[in-house]
Amino acid sequence: MKALVIDDSRVMRRIVTGILRGVGFDTVEAGDGKEALERLTEHPDVALCCIDWNMPVMTGFEFVVEARKRQEWRDITLMMVTTEGEQGQIVRALAAGAHEYVIKPFTPEIIVDKLELLGLVGARA
Amino acid sequence: MSAATESAPIFEAEALMGIATDLFETMVDGEPGHLTLWWGEPPELEDSRFTWVDIQGQPATRVLLAASRETGEQLTRALLALPEGSAVGDEDFADAVGEVANVVGGNIKSMVPDGGALTLPSVAHAAPDAPGAIAIIDTYLSWRGAPLHVSLWALP
Repeated sequence: MKALVIDDSRVMRRIVTGILRGVGFDTVEAGDGKEALERLTEHPDVALCCIDWNMPVMTGFEFVVEARKRQEWRDITLMMVTTEGEQGQIVRALAAGAHEYVIKPFTPEIIVDKLELLGLVGARA
Repeated sequence: MSAATESAPIFEAEALMGIATDLFETMVDGEPGHLTLWWGEPPELEDSRFTWVDIQGQPATRVLLAASRETGEQLTRALLALPEGSAVGDEDFADAVGEVANVVGGNIKSMVPDGGALTLPSVAHAAPDAPGAIAIIDTYLSWRGAPLHVSLWALP
């Protein structure tokens, strides 16, 4: 299974990518929402996007809105991974089409728990 | 920025400490116990670097972190899982310390009644000029024995 990690911070991409690879994902990366749309076009087998909110060029929220307009990407799971923790922001993202929401800082266990809830990795014993 | 310190009802130093502690335990150190309050006289920061984010809400607020270049490099190595003593480039340095400010700022933003937008992090050799800014929280933390200056400012 392939995941796209979208964050303008290389540090955060490394951390999220490391967690995803640890549970068996192949990963590709993008530094903003616009680049992420290009990566999705190049990698139609992406099953999961982990999306920062606050990025230059195109925000994560704008990316979710754009991605949800495309029929061919409707099966991709969109998970926000962001510092934007207000209830209103969470509701906006979910209403726009995101499936899950993780607030930084997080532990690897939090990410894996979300992936289990989404059915993207097997539940741990 | 003004050194004048006034209290503001919506922010508490304990909340800021809690955010920083969570960040360091989960994403920097991977274990608790390495970040504490700094006890004693405020230390001098050698070869300082500054990173900040602004919360463009009501009230407009700035989260400003300062540390020595050496401490910032240690932080960068921890976040990027680089070997101890390895060289740290300016780009990685700015990315890593900026992300620390971003995470702290984002969590502070969730405490602001009208949070507004969060700016992208900035990193510089000097603190940003902000005439009329008022310090809400101004404290030193100790990370593995090295000082980190953390402050929260109400912007005019």
